[in-house]
Amino acid sequence: MTAEEFKAVLQAAIAGSHEALETILDQYEPLIRKHSYIEGRYDEDLHQYLLIHIALNISKFSI
Amino acid sequence: MYHRQEATESDELRARFTAWMDILLYRARLKFIRKEKRRIPTISLDELEEEGVIVADYDVFRNQFKREEKSFDFEEERLAKAFAELPIKRQRILEMLFIEEKKPHQIAKELNCSEAYIYNEKHRALKKLREAIKKDGETQ
Repeated sequence: MTAEEFKAVLQAAIAGSHEALETILDQYEPLIRKHSYIEGRYDEDLHQYLLIHIALNISKFSI
Repeated sequence: MYHRQEATESDELRARFTAWMDILLYRARLKFIRKEKRRIPTISLDELEEEGVIVADYDVFRNQFKREEKSFDFEEERLAKAFAELPIKRQRILEMLFIEEKKPHQIAKELNCSEAYIYNEKHRALKKLREAIKKDGETQ
């Protein structure tokens, strides 16, 4: 994804597009996974919680 | 030149968003862990005994020996057998503790002995039961 495409997708995600949000979540999956560990163990509940947290808070990011 | 400048701005945006996401996820994770900690912790009967705390709860007593739902009836039978092999006084103390749900000080008063004796007898009886069940499980 080029920088321009990324900007467009991010803007759409912030505006509330589900598809764009999905693209962002896919792209940031490794980072989300990195934060989904508790005491060295992968926690699926935490992973779900983080996904919901991003979906609820992405609109707060100002471009 | 203009094109390159625009591309740099978007890259900067991507870097800024990544950093924002990293902080957002870090804080969300801490929040999640704090929430998890607020849940009521569960401690096994063994741990409680090590700390010298008495548990006068028949359900806890039952669950201690209930390893698998499927084999529960079978284990109940083994438990009953092991229980019958205990000295009568120990059997009576366990009954009073876990079935009649009496406090150790009440039992001590009724049986005319010290409270420490009740704790000791309870500990020994449970140990015997646990050993008997474990032994039976290995041989079968």
